[in-house]
Amino acid sequence: MSSVLSFLRQPIVVALVFIVLLLYLGELLSPGFASAAQILRLMIVASLLGIVAAGQNVVILGGREGIDLSVGGVVSLSAIIAGNVMQGADIGIVPAIAACLVAGAFFGLLNGLGVTLLRIPPLVMTLGMLGVLQGLLVVIRMGIPSGQAAPALSRFVTQPLFFGVPGIIWLWAVIGIVMALMLSRTVFGHRIYAIGSNEHAAYMAGVPVRLMRIALFMISGMFAAIAGLCLLGYSGSSFANVGEQYTLTSIIAVVFGGTSLAGGKGGYTGTMAGAFLLVILQGILTTVNIDESGRQMVFGATLLILMMFYGRGRAMRA
Amino acid sequence: MSKLKLNGVSKAYGATLALRRGDLEVMAGEVHVLMGSNGSGKSTLCKIIAGSVRPDDGRILIDDTPVTITGPRSARAQGIGIFYQELSLAAHRTVEENICLAALPAKARLFVDRTALKERAARYIALFDGVSGDGFSADALVGNLRPDQRQLVEIMKALASEAPLLIFDEPTSALDRAQVERFFEILRDLKRRGRGIIFISHRMDEIKAIGDRVTIIRDGETITTLNLGETDAGTVIRLMVGGAGDMPASQSSAPAVVDAKDGAALTVRNLSGAGFRNVSFEVARGEILGFGGLHGQGQSALLRAIFGAGSIATGEIRIGSDRFDAASPRDAIRRGCAYVSGDRGRDGVISGRPIIENVTPIHYLRDRLMIARPSKLSDRVAPALESMHTKFASLFHPINSLSGGNQQKVIIARWLIDRPDVLLLDDPTKGIDLSAKADLFALIRQLAAEGLGIILYSSEDAELLGNANRILVFNGGSVSRELTGPERTRYNLYQAAYEAA
Repeated sequence: MSSVLSFLRQPIVVALVFIVLLLYLGELLSPGFASAAQILRLMIVASLLGIVAAGQNVVILGGREGIDLSVGGVVSLSAIIAGNVMQGADIGIVPAIAACLVAGAFFGLLNGLGVTLLRIPPLVMTLGMLGVLQGLLVVIRMGIPSGQAAPALSRFVTQPLFFGVPGIIWLWAVIGIVMALMLSRTVFGHRIYAIGSNEHAAYMAGVPVRLMRIALFMISGMFAAIAGLCLLGYSGSSFANVGEQYTLTSIIAVVFGGTSLAGGKGGYTGTMAGAFLLVILQGILTTVNIDESGRQMVFGATLLILMMFYGRGRAMRA
Repeated sequence: MSKLKLNGVSKAYGATLALRRGDLEVMAGEVHVLMGSNGSGKSTLCKIIAGSVRPDDGRILIDDTPVTITGPRSARAQGIGIFYQELSLAAHRTVEENICLAALPAKARLFVDRTALKERAARYIALFDGVSGDGFSADALVGNLRPDQRQLVEIMKALASEAPLLIFDEPTSALDRAQVERFFEILRDLKRRGRGIIFISHRMDEIKAIGDRVTIIRDGETITTLNLGETDAGTVIRLMVGGAGDMPASQSSAPAVVDAKDGAALTVRNLSGAGFRNVSFEVARGEILGFGGLHGQGQSALLRAIFGAGSIATGEIRIGSDRFDAASPRDAIRRGCAYVSGDRGRDGVISGRPIIENVTPIHYLRDRLMIARPSKLSDRVAPALESMHTKFASLFHPINSLSGGNQQKVIIARWLIDRPDVLLLDDPTKGIDLSAKADLFALIRQLAAEGLGIILYSSEDAELLGNANRILVFNGGSVSRELTGPERTRYNLYQAAYEAA
């Protein structure tokens, strides 16, 4: 009996139960909400969030109050870079991917260097970086027309690729598998947990703690950049604050998935469920005509409620 | 007249009895020295008097009236002032504010009375005029002071409590001679004014210079109280050591004699750094070199510095015949150096992670692995754990599910997959059970027999005497004595440890 209970209390199980409940609720409020086509649409949106959350996830797992508040800015920046590089032509896709990854890695590197060499707390460092990125976006967009997505990119994100499922969902699935393998079966993954659980012990056992931390922020920046690129494909053209919402939602998805904000505990599978759950919630809120600011309030409250549930003993226990 | 009297005071933490029977009587107008080795119960006794630990049993009398001390505030209210060994100063406040911190003078019960504060602090600062050193002033920030100056502030703070009974726990550890002299003059003056003073120090010369009587504690029990004028250092040490102190370490338990032609595993020449100075020694392959002495005399600092986790100012380290200056533990591990800390929670255990991941980090580094395949790793990890008789249900259970002794075995096992050349043990048996200790030392001897050079720092003398070929006794950051062969006795170990630095 107690094993059944502990199974039911696992964050991922909780998230899955909520997913079913919310889908049911959505169907009640607006028939057709839980139809196959609509679920696929929700999953496209969820994969955008899930890809951002993958980077957020590794930074949080790495501990020492690890958090990346700059992801929203990187998503926006990447969408604008991609749009302007490809200018609506398929030939521009590869250069756009390269440019986005470089930009994401660069801002991740800055975050990592600030946190390790300058010992700025991640919360402050990445919040500052978010401010810099937002300012930069305003400057870039002055007088320059926002770019356009290449048709192939839009098809990849919105149209079925294999078995009626769009390419971005396949991409998300591959990222999910790669993340799971990386965290459980590679030395790099074990070292993420090691520095997240006990940074000093990891250092004494020869883990290159600073390099690891820099790498985690770079990974986070690159995932945000990929998400920004895909977001351009989803929306067709980019605008300055297109990625803004991802800072808060990526953190909620990670926490919903059972990863401890104190680091060293959790994984990506739960985060994927968390991302999907949030998108369904978003869909329901839209269905009942709650606008963007209202949704943000609900998300913020969700994070606080989650912290109350997981927070005691779970999230903060080192 | 009796200022403070403790009668049969005891304290247990769980199953361990920290203090079995503490008796102590401090008279008005005396400096009463408290002596006992590490873990004898001396600090528990002090904490009980200061109110930070509640006794399980026994009676406390102040001025012949039974009292109950419920906490630090209550201790202060009943006239007990304490000097804390671990500095309790506010680094970002000034010297004068720190001195008056416990009872800030106030105007209208709300605002700090600056003038009164300055006047009061100045009285205590003046006591150390001339010896407090450059940059010491009433409005200097404590954080900018040297360690000895901070210790002076701590002393002034204790004096400012004007308590009838003062406890000084190793107040002189950072002070220079002139400062100690001045401090002793102040103590003598307090004595004349009828204060009772409890004084803890590990320097025999200081104890002789300032103490009137000494109470000796061993194994959680008060052994006796003596007049320092009528006794000598040898007697005091013998009482601290107990019965069998003069017996040499039994030869049967000592490891095999080292063959000198095997050469040196680790050579240290004139090494100085934070916490230790001018240390030289050599560890042969197959030798267990013991580090002895009181806590915090530079043993740990030195071992950590060799391992690349502490700073080295000057000197030379060689492993085999190669220069070895590890910039980080990572560097040290790659070059065949291993370090096991007694502070598992801080330095060793990757909490919440599976046992297997607590064993593999060193293997990852030394074999430059990228992929961690559980089945392949299990084949390497399981034998390492079994060689130490580690009890575990599954390699994939979290390390927190194990007992302290088994956790430490897991931490040690991580060094056994790829054998190092040099093994540094920094009080490795702290807080682990007897059977785990026995397993640990069996392994250490076996590793020595296989040709590793091993340094063992232990706060337990029996471990040093029973396992080390030679013992270097540390005092004040440098080696004060080397004990070899039949010299390795408890008595000699204590004598060297308590000698003046």
